[in-house]
Amino acid sequence: MRRAFVFALFVTFAAASFVWAAGGVPAIAAAATPAALRIQVVDGDGLPVRDAVVELRSARSPAGPIRFPWKMGMAQRNLQFTPGTLIVARGSTVAFPNLDNVRHSIYSFSKPARFEIELYGRDQTRTHTFAVVGSVKLGCNIHDQMRGYIRVTDTPFAGKTDHNGYITLSGMANGAARLTVWHPNLRTPGNETASSITVTGEAQNHKLKVAMR
Amino acid sequence: MSPALRPFARLLALRFGTLSTRIAVLYAGLFALVLGGVVSLAAEGLSRFGEASAARDLEANARVFDEILDARARQMGDQADVLGHDFGFREAVATGDAPTIASALTSLEERVRSDMAFVLTLEGEVLAADARGVPAPETLWARLDAGDTRGIIASETGVLALAAAAPIEAPDLIGWLVIAQPLDRAELDRLVELAPIALEAQVAEGGTQPGWLRNAGANAVFERDIEGERYLYHVFDLPVLQDGIAPRLVLRHGLAASLATYASLKWWLTALAAGGIVLVLGLSWKVARSVTEPLQQLDEAARLIGEGREVSLAVETGDEIGRLAESFNQMVAAIEERERQIIHVGLHDGLTGLPNRKLFTEQLANVLSRRRAGEQVLVAYIDLDDFKMVNDTLGHPAGDALLRMVADHLKKEQPDALIARLGGDEFAVLIDGIDEKASLGNIADRLQACFNRPLTINGQAASSSASIGIALAPGDGEDGITLMKNADLALYRAKREGKANYHFFEPALDEAARQRRQLELDLRTTIRDGGFVLNFQPLYSLAEKRLTGFEALIRWNHPVRGRVGPAEFIPLAEETGLIVPIGEWVLREACHQASGWPANVSVAVNVSPRQFAATGIASTVLSALSASGLAPHRLELEITESIFIADVEQTLATLHSLRNLGVKIALDDFGTGYSSLSYLRSFPFDKVKIDKSFVEDLGTSGNGHAVIRAITTLAAALGMETLAEGVEDIAQFEVLEREGCQNIQGYLFSRPVPAEAVADLLRDVSGYQRQLRA
Repeated sequence: MRRAFVFALFVTFAAASFVWAAGGVPAIAAAATPAALRIQVVDGDGLPVRDAVVELRSARSPAGPIRFPWKMGMAQRNLQFTPGTLIVARGSTVAFPNLDNVRHSIYSFSKPARFEIELYGRDQTRTHTFAVVGSVKLGCNIHDQMRGYIRVTDTPFAGKTDHNGYITLSGMANGAARLTVWHPNLRTPGNETASSITVTGEAQNHKLKVAMR
Repeated sequence: MSPALRPFARLLALRFGTLSTRIAVLYAGLFALVLGGVVSLAAEGLSRFGEASAARDLEANARVFDEILDARARQMGDQADVLGHDFGFREAVATGDAPTIASALTSLEERVRSDMAFVLTLEGEVLAADARGVPAPETLWARLDAGDTRGIIASETGVLALAAAAPIEAPDLIGWLVIAQPLDRAELDRLVELAPIALEAQVAEGGTQPGWLRNAGANAVFERDIEGERYLYHVFDLPVLQDGIAPRLVLRHGLAASLATYASLKWWLTALAAGGIVLVLGLSWKVARSVTEPLQQLDEAARLIGEGREVSLAVETGDEIGRLAESFNQMVAAIEERERQIIHVGLHDGLTGLPNRKLFTEQLANVLSRRRAGEQVLVAYIDLDDFKMVNDTLGHPAGDALLRMVADHLKKEQPDALIARLGGDEFAVLIDGIDEKASLGNIADRLQACFNRPLTINGQAASSSASIGIALAPGDGEDGITLMKNADLALYRAKREGKANYHFFEPALDEAARQRRQLELDLRTTIRDGGFVLNFQPLYSLAEKRLTGFEALIRWNHPVRGRVGPAEFIPLAEETGLIVPIGEWVLREACHQASGWPANVSVAVNVSPRQFAATGIASTVLSALSASGLAPHRLELEITESIFIADVEQTLATLHSLRNLGVKIALDDFGTGYSSLSYLRSFPFDKVKIDKSFVEDLGTSGNGHAVIRAITTLAAALGMETLAEGVEDIAQFEVLEREGCQNIQGYLFSRPVPAEAVADLLRDVSGYQRQLRA
């Protein structure tokens, strides 16, 4: 069942994007509660913000490990981290396969995960386990323009916006909740902003306006 | 005139004593005006050029300075970039490794000679080795976040500094590395030295600047006087890396130095102009002098000529001035020549070239004043005898020729004498230096001899005899006027004494002249008041054997002198013209008396030549006739041949007009004077009166009656009566009767009788007959 859903999701996004690139939709209780929260993130000019990480936390968090329907991996291809933004649950181990012909290193000075991986070659892979919630900015020591972001989260209701800035969250319990938006270019301390929201259980549309750099 | 030109006009109207000063001043003034204009224009142009080029220089240098500042900032930025990209440094910043950051910054400060280096994190935190003086982060953040990397910042204490920033990325932007260099005096001076012209640079916060600088537009050059010095300013708005400040870079350039070279040029120009004016003043004065000096000489010469002094200008050059002097000299010479001619004309007679009366009088006065004791001065008046005859018979040209001949002859014969023509045919001779004992008679004879020679004019012989009156100084007068008067009196006497002789002045002549003047006065009184009477002498007709008329004869009963004969006063009356009113009175009185006589008795009245020539004789006769009622044929006018001496045609016309009145006309004194038979032929006289000299001759010479017969025969042939005058005895009467004379007048019959006696004589006609037959 779950596999079928994932497959279906792949089919849905196949035309639009590569399997690693596609944004995920939480699978949890998708059928149980049809009501979903549809959020659009726009910048100050009203333009949609892509790849913004939206997290929703409510008072009653579901128990159990969090699993996201995407691969816990951040590849290096064409002198770029792929995907650029990866949401992982706390405690996840993320693989960093090098798909380029050149060597890459990986460093992070971010507090949640401060580490440095020495240069490694093609078709080699390294892993790092992210134990602390927060955002981790990855860079390559010899390729300044390479940026990669890993958002370590502790809520299953998280995802990143699509081309049109949309993200649909579902399966949350009704009631008050906090909505957090993170984006590397968000013009706020920690590049994140938080707001309160009440989940009604009905189909909800919510638009978040954020200041972008 | 426009007000602007008025001072100039006043300058022109200025009066200078000399022309040269005026010319020099006017020329120099004009030159100064033009030169002043040129110099001030040039000076102004130089100033403007200097200012403009200084402004251009400043503008160019301002750009250079801007570049310098920018380059410095860029250099600092590059150095910041190096550190900002250092992995270790980035790690230190990302991980907040303060000691590492501080040490890295200190090392950077030393390396790049910067006073301040710090890191501003994206969160607004400042990391520095020494955070003192670092501006408040919130003022920097926005500019840095906007991407600005270079600009001015102000330290906490307000010190402005040139700053450059480099982003720190790990890999995202986590902050900026900022390094700064205070723009203090020393730093600015170091930068200014890089500029090619002398500049003073100052970077100041806009708010601290004075108003005029604060309000000045950026990137423009403007001028400002500071404490008397002229400065050019250029102001920049400097780019900032910090909010809340507005620093400006002020560049100042002193104009004095730039303009100094032009100023000296201006002084040179002014000096040149002043020199030119002095030169023009001098030259124009010199030129003016070369014109005015000859003018002054001319002026002086003209003044001297005006004073009658002889002047000649020196001709020094061949130019206009020399020619002017030459012309002036010629003019002076011409004037002198004309003056001489005028004086000559004024003092000489045009016809003969002899001195005139004026010159003679002057010379006589001179001679008299110079006369020495024992010397005599002789003045002779000479009058040609019968010159009028020559004029009348031969014409005026002949008369003039005669005068010239006489003058030439006199000059030749009397070379030492001054000979003058006084007018008409009157000459004067002045001989001085005659010794007292000299024979005056000889001198007079010599003078007389000059005229005793026949002259031929136009082939006709003419007499040149003259009468001479002589007066001598000092005997006959000491002064010229007296001498000349006396010489004239002597001449008068000489004329009276039969012409062609000379007469010395005697005091008696003077007495005679005085008496003449008295007599003339008395005549005038008598004419006015009456006092003349008429006597009548009968005229006897041999044919009719009766008295046919009377000749009216004037008598003057003088209140003092008693009876005055006509011979005494008639010549005087002729001379003075008083004969005209006297003759008129005689005519009227005679007609009046005759009107009371029987109708066959007529009256004869003498008409003098002067009276005859006077206008209106005919109307006078007519008036006398009509006033008396006498029939015209009873009036007989007796005229003498001398009336023909004047204009013959006029005389004949007058005679005919009288004849037309119906009066008779008799020719008196026939046979004397210039008797000419042509007179008889030209006018049909009614009667010819044979002069008594012929009658007197009847008793003495044998051929007397031949003359009488000739005359009577001639008269009879011409149809004229004859009358003999002055018949005194019976012998004369018989001859006259025998020779055919028709009328007799004379004492034989009766002396002239008063008017009252006429009637008695008429009654006593038989008595006459008896007397004659006795």
